[in-house]
Amino acid sequence: MEEDSPDAPLKPPGTPGGPAPVPAAEYPQPRVVKARRWNVSLVWLVPFVAVAIAASMLVRSIFLTGPRVEIQFKSADGVEAGKTEVRYKEVVIGKVVSVALRDDRQSVGVVVQLDRQAASFAVEDTSFWVVRPRIGTGGVSGLGTLLSGAYIGTDAGVSTRSRSEFIGLEAPPFVLRGEPGTIFVLRAEDLGSLDVGSPVFHRRTPVGRVVGYTLDSDRDELSMKIFVEAPYQKLVTLNSRFWNASGIDLTLNASGLSVNTQTLASVLAGGMAFDAPPETARAPQAPENSVFTLFPDRRSALAPADGVAVPVRMVFDQSVRGLAPGAGIDLLGVDIGRVRTVALQYDAQRHRFPVEVMAEIYPLRLGPVREALLRDANGAGDAVVLQQLVASGLRAQLRTGNLLTGQLYVALDFIPGPPKTAGIGSDGAVRMPTAPGTLSELQPQIAEIVQKVSKIPFDDIGRDLRTTLRSANAAIGQLTPDAQKALAEVQRTLSSAQKTIESLDRNVADPSSPVQRNLEDTLQELQRTARALRLLSDYLQQHPEALLRGKPADAPVPNR
Amino acid sequence: MSGAVDDGDDVYLGCESCGLVSRDVTGDDPGLVQHCSRCGHVLHATKPFSLQRTWACIVAAAVLYIPANTLPVMETTSALQRDEHTLLGGIHELWLDGSWALAVIVFIASIAVPVLKIGVLALLAWTVRRHPDWRRLERARLYRLIETVGHWSMLDVYVVVLLAATVRFGPLASVSTGAGLLSFAAVVVLTLLATWSFDPRLIWRDPPATPTPRDGRRLA
Repeated sequence: MEEDSPDAPLKPPGTPGGPAPVPAAEYPQPRVVKARRWNVSLVWLVPFVAVAIAASMLVRSIFLTGPRVEIQFKSADGVEAGKTEVRYKEVVIGKVVSVALRDDRQSVGVVVQLDRQAASFAVEDTSFWVVRPRIGTGGVSGLGTLLSGAYIGTDAGVSTRSRSEFIGLEAPPFVLRGEPGTIFVLRAEDLGSLDVGSPVFHRRTPVGRVVGYTLDSDRDELSMKIFVEAPYQKLVTLNSRFWNASGIDLTLNASGLSVNTQTLASVLAGGMAFDAPPETARAPQAPENSVFTLFPDRRSALAPADGVAVPVRMVFDQSVRGLAPGAGIDLLGVDIGRVRTVALQYDAQRHRFPVEVMAEIYPLRLGPVREALLRDANGAGDAVVLQQLVASGLRAQLRTGNLLTGQLYVALDFIPGPPKTAGIGSDGAVRMPTAPGTLSELQPQIAEIVQKVSKIPFDDIGRDLRTTLRSANAAIGQLTPDAQKALAEVQRTLSSAQKTIESLDRNVADPSSPVQRNLEDTLQELQRTARALRLLSDYLQQHPEALLRGKPADAPVPNR
Repeated sequence: MSGAVDDGDDVYLGCESCGLVSRDVTGDDPGLVQHCSRCGHVLHATKPFSLQRTWACIVAAAVLYIPANTLPVMETTSALQRDEHTLLGGIHELWLDGSWALAVIVFIASIAVPVLKIGVLALLAWTVRRHPDWRRLERARLYRLIETVGHWSMLDVYVVVLLAATVRFGPLASVSTGAGLLSFAAVVVLTLLATWSFDPRLIWRDPPATPTPRDGRRLA
């Protein structure tokens, strides 16, 4: 392309050779070619495509948008409009659109835009809660929210009735829908160190957890919900007993000190355990929401059922120090009841202070004996049976259960004495006659012994003993030099004896000693003498006449 | 820019490329296209189908402007959370944060200018047909204005694309473009195309007494 400058004359067409002036009237003619057929309507495809694209985008975004729900929370702590997500199983299913104070100013309304796929969450039994970091004895949860901020957790409902306004939970539910397991209800005296999330043990194996508790403010009743995971819910039978396994169960009673613990975790964090009472037939599995009693410890949990208690009133004329409410009542060593109250009374006539002990006796603990007794009483009540027993000599007696701690218990025993009858008071309590306790009998005797012991003149005895010992000591001191002397003598004697023996040994025992030699010669001489005597005796036997005549002359030796 | 000069019976066309003035020899025949005898550039009194194309682009831009504003243009994902930002939402956030100046700038660049362009182009295209005599000079100035402004319309898109390309810290943080950005880019491109398609010579075309044959006929 040639350069165009303002001064350069325009080149006429068809004269590429060089510049040529163009006449004013002669404007160059353009080259004319056939126009390509241009389909005009094609231009209008652009807006159509745009409409299609925009429509598809919008439709998609509308399709991805689910229903809006409003959740009511007590506080919007950590919840931010446009940021806080709604998650189900850690999958984002929606987002908080707005957070606003509700009209009553008591709660916060959080509007959540759910995704299309989460439209089924807007049903009436869905629950929402704000997930924040929580550190408890049961563990740490929601740690991720420390960085990411809170989010709204969801438990999907299964209802088909849709709903758009919810009341959010303040804490995450401890059982999510669809989690296999069963919920049971426990009634408890107190919570102990249990808390939501505390484990439930069976044979020291964690099989569930506490999922909630409510203290009924009207009835002053504590009920706990526990969740036992599948498949262990089968282990919870109708006669299962639950007990609080928290901490260390230190029991100091008439039987002494007993320590009972579950696992270390439950000692620290609390927990409960259940088991079937021993030697009972396997009961059917407990249905969901069965109500059980939570016993304070394993022993009371696994004890046979006590049944209806028979109230008993006993009046003791002695100190009941060491008898605490809860102390046992023994019948020949079998624990059949509990002391309820111990109260001092005043007997104006005698000017004495008898002690009234109210107790409960559980006849069911007698087992088959009770049935036999009831049969004897022709079906009369337990109280009547008790009255009959009293008539035949049953008495209450305070006994020492533990000499170290001085704990007392009430023993029912047949004690010989004047017959008494047991009335039934206006409060329905059986008036149980009492006998002086063994301890109260023992006490004066012991006092007497102590008195006698204290009369013994230990001081004088000690003084005399000391004098005696001192004189003995002196005598021994005097004895000592003589004894040493005597010992030296003995030593000398012994050494001379030893010398004597040695010389004896040398002079006598040695074969070369003169004694030995002389003895030998003497013996030989003696031998010869003996032989001569034998010869003489032989000769005399043959020639007795020789005694008279003497030995004849020797016969002449024959000459040959 | 060269235009058509009507000198009595003869119609002269200026080449938009090299400036050579030629005489219109084809007259009304739409089947013929004239090329500059010197540089070969297409010669026409006004751009062919100018108004049609302008209208088409305006309509398309207006349609796409809806998803551009309602859909997120940017998704920021960090270890903490995932956020989607729409144009208006971003401006709202800036405004709430106290960055009013920035919010105004972004608002002008992202919301006002596209709307203005679409509106002005629609106005121009409409007045060409309906009120050709009305304030021609101002209309011409408006056209020049939007042509100038158009160069800067892609600013938002560039920013987001640059962010998306650079902010990639694995799981810690990443920025990705949203569907809205695509729409917005399409809006910008379409307004640019519309601006380019619109022939300002149409503004100066004679009143209907002597309409420019091509466009007049086509639009009729």
